Order: sequence, then structure tokens, then C-alpha cells
Amino acid sequence: MGGGVTVGAEVWERRLDTPRDVWAVFLQARTRDPHVHVGDVHAPDAEMALVLAKENYARRDPCVTLWVVRAAEIHTTTQDAAEMFEPAIDKSYRFGGSYRRQQQVYRSAWRLSHRDEDQ
Amino acid sequence: MDQALRPQEPQDDPEQLARFEQRIQSGDQIEAGEWMPEAYRFEAIRLIQMHANSEIMGALPEREWIPRAPTLARKLALTAKVQDEVGHAMLLYRVAETLGRSREEMFAELVEGRARFHNVFHYPAETWADVAIIQVFVDGAAMQTQGALRSCSYAPYARVLKRICYEEDFHIQLGLDVWRSLAEGTPRQRAMLQDALNRWWTPLIHFFGMPDKVSPHTERMLAWRIKVKSNEELRQQFLRRFVPIILEYGLVVPDPGLRWVEGEQRYVYTEPDWEELKRVGRNNGPKSAERLALRLAFYRQHAWVREAMTQWAAA
Amino acid sequence: MAGALAAIADASTRAGFREWLLRVADDELIIGHRHSEWTGFGPDIESDVALSSIAQEEVGHARAFYAQITAGEGDDEDHLAFARLPGEYRHAVLVERENGGWEWSIVRLVLYERFDAERLGLLAASAQDPFAGLARTLLREERYHTLFAEAWLTRLARGGGDGRARVQAALDAAWPDALGLFEDTDVDARLAAAGILQGSPDALRTAWAAAVRPVLESSGLRIPSTPARTGGRRGQHTPEFDRLHAQMTEVWRSEPGARW
Repeated sequence: MGGGVTVGAEVWERRLDTPRDVWAVFLQARTRDPHVHVGDVHAPDAEMALVLAKENYARRDPCVTLWVVRAAEIHTTTQDAAEMFEPAIDKSYRFGGSYRRQQQVYRSAWRLSHRDEDQ
Repeated sequence: MDQALRPQEPQDDPEQLARFEQRIQSGDQIEAGEWMPEAYRFEAIRLIQMHANSEIMGALPEREWIPRAPTLARKLALTAKVQDEVGHAMLLYRVAETLGRSREEMFAELVEGRARFHNVFHYPAETWADVAIIQVFVDGAAMQTQGALRSCSYAPYARVLKRICYEEDFHIQLGLDVWRSLAEGTPRQRAMLQDALNRWWTPLIHFFGMPDKVSPHTERMLAWRIKVKSNEELRQQFLRRFVPIILEYGLVVPDPGLRWVEGEQRYVYTEPDWEELKRVGRNNGPKSAERLALRLAFYRQHAWVREAMTQWAAA
Repeated sequence: MAGALAAIADASTRAGFREWLLRVADDELIIGHRHSEWTGFGPDIESDVALSSIAQEEVGHARAFYAQITAGEGDDEDHLAFARLPGEYRHAVLVERENGGWEWSIVRLVLYERFDAERLGLLAASAQDPFAGLARTLLREERYHTLFAEAWLTRLARGGGDGRARVQAALDAAWPDALGLFEDTDVDARLAAAGILQGSPDALRTAWAAAVRPVLESSGLRIPSTPARTGGRRGQHTPEFDRLHAQMTEVWRSEPGARW
């Protein structure tokens, strides 16, 4: 357990409860893409985890680089704490223009930055 | 099989249970590590473990034909297809692991004959044409169940099923290509295909299970979305999609009693022998012992490798 | 369409190069076939999947070579792969051996991959297009085969218990056949004389030995000193290959000329 801050009876963060030999695999599809969690492998160490991840997760999907990390090292917020992430008051001061317009701009910019022509 | 309702564990907090059931009813999904009733955990593990076991054991009938594949293209495609099945097992055991079971334990249970896997994988793959039947009809049957379970309530399972269904679709397309070559081939090839279809028909009908009994157990499985569609619904879905393929190629549906009832919008078929399904479910099918023995032999042969890896990891 | 081999004017040289290419293709087909036999039986699920990919790449490489060899000959790659009699295959005996335990297959893969890298390098450096171009492309995939094999070798030999003894026994058993990869025949002399390829089997073996030595020794293994067992390059194979060939061609032979 971490610092163990609790408000009320509920724990808001914990480590993932996974066996030590489980490695989370993060795949970068094309240059400039973020690494995305695609699944896990069992392996005795990091090098073997990478070797195995290549064929277990990148045999069909495009891939430039892979990350692995022991899943047991990952900390997560809990489902109980999900509520915290929902905005309660108007936060439109964070966005330029309407929230909807901001989402449109964000989504299309992301798409543009990942166009094949840019690679 | 005992379908009695598992008693609610005294530890199931009624408030948490109520919240849990409300979430599911509202269409929500449960993630790994969240609170769940013990009965839910038990049923989810049973479902997912059997699925994982089936992918591993499902590799066995088809892998016999990899060394015999009659063209380089078929050799490659079949190897890739069986590879996918083994890969699915990997994904599914990981999901079962998130519910609290160890992969090592589940694997040992399987190879020692103490766990279950789908009926279809207890039957022989006698000819090359069996490969076509397995890839079209067996995978097609599995697709009905897997497709429906994409909306199950356990999120890690639902996510993995999305990927599995995506890949399974390729398998069926590949299978149809083999099917087509044989159906449109020489008289011997056509005969081999019809013979394979005849031998596989009953196991395919069995695959979906007996029509569901109305019981508190079934009701709860549906309410908790561990079961999404009924056995008969899935069987009918399967027949609707795959009987036309048989007819399109001028082959014979092996059940002479099968016919479409227009008024009821469903197929009627000859009631299969459910005792056979029960026997197979106890690992007493035509190939059960042989395949389990084969897998167990390798498992034992590799014991030193597992040990070496454990020592390496600990160092 | 004239095949790529037609570019070689001298008939005897052309036949020699065709035979040399057939060695490459047959090695890849047969080792790929052996690797595909591990499907569903690997020591862990992830390695099962990874070795299956390697098997597919090997068979795929064989197919690419068969296709280039037969281009312009009128036959197709399947015919070349399935129609020959056992004595007409030119792979080394090492690749036809039955899989044995996991450690045996890994040792074979380690020895074979270092050889294949040298051989493809030789072809890539030659002026023989399109084969040189194909070799350059395939080398990209081969690197992973070496990574997988050597990652496993290290862990098996150094993981503790009697691992090292088992791996050593596998190495001792595989060594004579591994040297058979470099079997020297008159074909090699002919190709060197004609300037087709710039490297004798001897030179290839020296480069290979220099590459495998550190890999094996860093895992605490002893390099055997047993002599080569040859024959594969001249079509002299073992009963293990007779069984493999019978199984591999069984369905194809059942209806020759049929579409599968």
C-alpha cells in the first residue's frame, strides 16, 4: 500500500494486484504516436518480455517500438475514486470557445499529427 | 451437471451487492480488482477458464494438418491460424488471472484432465477437409458465443473478446477459401468435404449446449450478464448463417430432419443425443484421453525449463 | 518471361547457382516445418506463439526463393516444394532432425541462425539480382530469430539446475550436423570460379564459428571438437527426413494437380 491516505472508508489508489512475472506491454504504432497498453505477457525478465511481446502483440499491428514494465509496479486510482474525475462546476474557462469546439479541434489536430504523410 | 444456485457467501456485503447489481443493470462493466460477489467471481472464472482451455486444446486437432498442408500458402495460413488460437489462450488465461487464479494452476488442471474444454475439440480431424470444416463451422459456432459475450459484464473479458472476434473473422474467411477449393474441386475432394461435414455435424449442434432450463441459476447468469444469449438463440444464429453456405455449394446438410419453419422463423432439427455431450463434457470423448495425454507429456517434459526460468527470474 | 537465373550465360554455372539457391530454400522449408511442429507444445504460451512466427517466416522465405528459382521455368513454387523425391532436396541434415527437447531445438536454432545470417550476407553482397535484393530484405527478419534463440539459450544454460548439462548435451549432439551446413561440393568451387559468390564454405564456417563462439562460451558451454557429418547438400538424408517428406507431401500427392 502507498501513503494510505483515505477519506472516509475508501482507498483511492492501490498497486495492480498481478503476479511478479506479468509484464504490461505498451506499443508505439508509428513514430510520434504515444505508447499504448495492448496487453500483458508472462516472462522471467524484461529482455524476454520484449522478445515475446513482439510476436504476441505486433505480428499484425504496425509497431515501431515497444515498452514493457512489470504490471505489479503499476499504481491505479480505484473505481471508488472515479467520481473525483467528473467535473462538478463549470470549467469552460479551461477551454477556448465552447467545449464542443475545443473537442473538435483537439480530435482533428490529433488526427492530423498522426497522418501517414507526416511520417 | 449441478446447476444449483451457489449460496450467497456470508461475506457478500448486501449494500455492495445491491450497488454491484445496479451497476450491471444500468449497462456498466466491472473492471479487474473491483468488488464482486463470490458467486460472480466463481462463474466468471469458470466461463473464461473453459474458454482459455478450449483455445489451447483447439490447437490440437488442426495442428495435425500443418505438417501435411498441401501448398505453401495453406501451410502458412494454417500455422498462423493455430498460432492465433494459442495467442487467444494467452489473452484469456490472463483475464482469468485477474479474477484470482494462477495461470500455472489452471494449466496444470487442464493437462491433468481435471478441467473442461469445449466438446468440439474432443473429436478427430481425420482428413485435410476437416480443416475446412473446423475453420468455417467450428470457428463459426464459437463466433456466435464470443460475439454475444462482447457485451458481458466483466470488462477485461469483453475487451479481449473484441480482439478475438476480429481475428476469428479472418479465420472463417480463410476457412471459406479452403472450403471453396474443395467444394469446387475434384469428385474426391468434394466427397472428402461432405464426409468431414457429416462427421462434424452432431458435435456442432452439441456445441451450444442443451436448451437452457429455466432456473434461478440461468436467470442470475443473465442478470449478471455472464450469460448474454440463450443456448438455443445462439444455435439458431449459427444455423441461419451457416446452413445456406452448405446449400450454396450443393452439399448435403447431414441432418435430414433439418428444415426452416417460415412461420416460426427458425430451424427445426433432429434432437441430438445429449448423453454424448455429457460424456464428452467429462473428458470422455473420442480423442480426449489421447490429446490430454499428449499435452501432459510435453508439460512434464518442460518441467525443468519452467524451473530454470523461475530460478533465472529470482536471481 | 525469362527467369532471373537466365541472366547467367554459362549452363553449368547457372545449374550450380540454382542448386545453391535450392539449398537456401530447402534449409528454410525444412527447419520451418520442424518449428511449426512445436505449435501448441511449447514450454510457455508466449514462446509457442513466437516460435510459430519464426516458423512462418522460414517457410515464407523458402517460398520466396522457390518462386524466384522457378520464375520462367513453368513450374510453381509448390511443385518445387512438394514434387521432388527425398534425394533431390538439398538441405543440411541438421534441419531435418526431429525436434527433441526444447533445449535441442533452441541449440539448433542458435547454430542455424548464425549460419543463415552469414549465408544471406554473402548473397546480399553478390551481384546476383533479384536474389541479392531478396537476401537483403530477409536479413531484417532474421535478426529476431537470433534474438529469440539466444535469449532462450542463455536462460536455459544459466538458469540453474542441470540446465547447462542438458544444453551442453544438445550442443554435442547437434555439432557434427551443424558443420554439415558448410558441406563443400564442386558446386561451391564452380560458383567461386565464376565469381557468382565471394566466399567458400570454409570461409563461411570460419565467420560462423567466430560468431557463435562468444554466444556459446558466455553461456558456459564448451565448443565440441567433433568432425562434420555431411551428405545433405548431395541429397543424402536420414530416415527422419523420409518420414518428414512422406508426411509433408501426403495430401499434395493424394490428388496431384488438384487445387487445394
